[in-house]
Amino acid sequence: MIHDAQMDYYGTRLATCSSDRSVKIFDVRNGGQILIADLRGHEGPVWQVAWAHPMYGNILASCSYDRKVIIWREENGTWEKSHEHAGHDSSVNSVCWAPHDYGLILACGSSDGAISLLTYTGEGQWEVKKINNAHTIGCNAVSWAPAVVPGSLIDQPSGQKPNYIKRFASGGCDNLIKLWKEEEDGQWKEEQKLEAHSDWVRDVAWAPSIGLPTSTIASCSQDGRVFIWNCDDASGNTWSPKLLHKFNDVVWHVSWSITANILAVSGGDNKEELQMQPQIDHLP
Amino acid sequence: MEEFDGEPAVTVIPGVNSKKNQMCFDWGPGEMLVCETSFSKKEKSEMVPSCPFIYIIRKDVDVYSQILRKLFNESHGIFLGLQRIDEELTGKSRKSQLVRVSKNYRSVIRACMEEMHQVAIAAKDPASGRQFSSQVSILSAMELIWNLCEILFIEVAPAGHLLLHLLDWVRLHVCEVDSLSADVLGSENPSNHDSFWNLPGNTQTLTELELKWQHWHEECEQYLQDSTFATNPHLESLLKIMLGDEAALLEQKELLSNWYHFLVTRLLYSNPTVKPIDLHYYAQSSLDLFLGGESSPEPLDNILLAAFEFDIHQVIKECSIALSNWWFVAHLTDLLDHCKLLQSHNLYFGSNMREFLLLEYASGLFAHPSLWQLGVDYFDYCPKLGRVSLELHIERIPLNTEQKALKVLRICEQRQMTEQVRSICKILAMKAVRNNRLGSALSWSIRAKDAAFATLVSDRFLRDYCERGCFSDLDLIDNLGPAMMLSDRLTFLGKYREFHRMYGEKRFADAASLLLSLMTSRIAPRSFWMTLLTDALPLLEQKQVIFSAEQTYELMQCLEDLMSRRPVRGESDIQQLQDEDIETTKVEMLRLALARNLARAIIREGSLEGS
Repeated sequence: MIHDAQMDYYGTRLATCSSDRSVKIFDVRNGGQILIADLRGHEGPVWQVAWAHPMYGNILASCSYDRKVIIWREENGTWEKSHEHAGHDSSVNSVCWAPHDYGLILACGSSDGAISLLTYTGEGQWEVKKINNAHTIGCNAVSWAPAVVPGSLIDQPSGQKPNYIKRFASGGCDNLIKLWKEEEDGQWKEEQKLEAHSDWVRDVAWAPSIGLPTSTIASCSQDGRVFIWNCDDASGNTWSPKLLHKFNDVVWHVSWSITANILAVSGGDNKEELQMQPQIDHLP
Repeated sequence: MEEFDGEPAVTVIPGVNSKKNQMCFDWGPGEMLVCETSFSKKEKSEMVPSCPFIYIIRKDVDVYSQILRKLFNESHGIFLGLQRIDEELTGKSRKSQLVRVSKNYRSVIRACMEEMHQVAIAAKDPASGRQFSSQVSILSAMELIWNLCEILFIEVAPAGHLLLHLLDWVRLHVCEVDSLSADVLGSENPSNHDSFWNLPGNTQTLTELELKWQHWHEECEQYLQDSTFATNPHLESLLKIMLGDEAALLEQKELLSNWYHFLVTRLLYSNPTVKPIDLHYYAQSSLDLFLGGESSPEPLDNILLAAFEFDIHQVIKECSIALSNWWFVAHLTDLLDHCKLLQSHNLYFGSNMREFLLLEYASGLFAHPSLWQLGVDYFDYCPKLGRVSLELHIERIPLNTEQKALKVLRICEQRQMTEQVRSICKILAMKAVRNNRLGSALSWSIRAKDAAFATLVSDRFLRDYCERGCFSDLDLIDNLGPAMMLSDRLTFLGKYREFHRMYGEKRFADAASLLLSLMTSRIAPRSFWMTLLTDALPLLEQKQVIFSAEQTYELMQCLEDLMSRRPVRGESDIQQLQDEDIETTKVEMLRLALARNLARAIIREGSLEGS
């Protein structure tokens, strides 16, 4: 049983993961399907896969019921396990790569309620930061905010990294969506708590930025509801939810198209539903 | 709490039993993946999927059609021409330009239709033949609608001319010969007919025309009432037709292929000077009469009706629903927008209808390996969200060849999309490093202004040099120019290479100074100092004194500096001991050479000039 399938950045490769504990990679150019790799290493069903940005090479992350997160890398044409993170006490449910501007950073959400952040520091080394008790009972989903350089439109001098404010959203079994922000000392702090769902939050998805000063997050839950959260001001303080739709059953998954004009929602009543999602236009 | 209206559209995936199993999905850059799964995260799952496949769902499959590609390419040219029409133009000249554009679009559709028709006839198997034929009818419908829109909205034909245009329109689209009008022309009053329809160049006004027609109409009515033709039922029914009698017309239904043919014929005989605003009454009733309650209107009928009602938004909406790609509505709406016909509808996305449709169309083009280039121009002409949409899409184009990468980069650079340039260059640099093409990697990282990566690549170059004793990609390194300043390591690489060049050109004094400065200025990484000092050896051993006393002192300082920082070696194996031996020998040689040079330098500097 396939649990997740993801296209790479260019739509040329497909990664799938399954309850048979394997992660498979296919070349899907020109309508073909050639199996490139069958990666074994997990000891339980694999829930999710995520491709890193191609500027870091061909890198894939996977997370599993076996409480592990594995990072796979392609070197000289072959795929190998590059790193294994075993810092959680129960199933890891979701992995999400941060915007490439921040470096190579992976967020992982687990049923032990914690979220861990793995940052690549070079030479095969990964630094781990853990947010314990992010959500009581468990964390089901993590999603990064798009990279936005704060304030300035001036080109940064070469070689210097601009001061990005790193943010991501997480959804958990405490029915909450939490927004996390990295402080100057490198620690992660809970910035906002978004309450509207009446049951476990199953998925969160931060919409890609289309240049408007607003931020948008979609969330879906066991309670059958899909909310769209909008924040108007740049400081990210006031979030207001709009109910997109109430379905008759659990909603498992939400996902934005790359220009954020369509939100796809997968409902428990087993139909694939596609929505035209209007963005709130604030330009006169 | 606000709620959004509208039910989401449901798409059914064939082969997947959506009643039994759940589906997971993800977005690709241009498509969507769907497969059966189970979301409940238990270790052992009870549900067994019946369908082992993953489906790739694409919205814009038409981009892959060979023949339609011509449509996209040629209409792209027309689109660009339209955008560049001088905004200053007004009145008649503007209108004629816009009409010309519209005719151009239509001729492109017809050309495409013709080609597809040929392919349909030549098709080997009936299934594909049918597919092509249905494409032909879709294109034909598109041309039909566009033509009508041109007459009503762009040409804005006034009463009188309107019917002429509509006649042409129907004649163009009805395959069978209009035998009815042939009959009429051959009938009793040809002279009246001839002069009546001699409109082009005619100096008659509309009123004069109307009067004449009224006169003629009354004459016909008189004939009917007097039962002049009672003996010939054929001629009588002809007379009734000429009087626009609907029932009589409908009796000839088989000759009328559709309701709009009926409509125009009816108008011809009952109200030839019909005004545009009155059209819709006739249209609706013609449709109803023709269908006669037996069948219901098809999408095409509704679109045409909406056009007759001058409801542009309805036309666009219905076309969007009925057609499988955005080409038609995007281009038509853009043209109508240029005619200033679209109210600024407060649509959320893209802020107006025109932009929304163009964005959708252009996004679809990006799914195609070469048509994406057309998409770029369309985004350029979407003032609100075009740029950011382009930014998001262009990064996703697979850069399989250097040529393609350069093309993409040029497009980004032309539009000052520096972030995208940087990102793409970084990706290419990384790819080059993995394929061991260091020169390529270096030039990409310079173009990306990526200091960190440039350092990485420079390190690789230096490492290669240490291993092989020579540089690769000399051309590149020699011609770095100001780009050298990007990173310290890169600067060192460039300067080090310069040192070698100077040595080769026997400019020993310059080479010596450079070598020394590389160490004293700390540009050289410490790990490289030994190599540099070893490079100094031949200079120290030369017959003439190259390094001055002061320089020699500095070199000695560097050597001692380097030695003092060496970690104390613990237990080592044979290989390490051997390496150590070599190291020690080298250091000794250096010390000796430095001492000798110092002595010679002091003597030389101490002596008087010329003595």
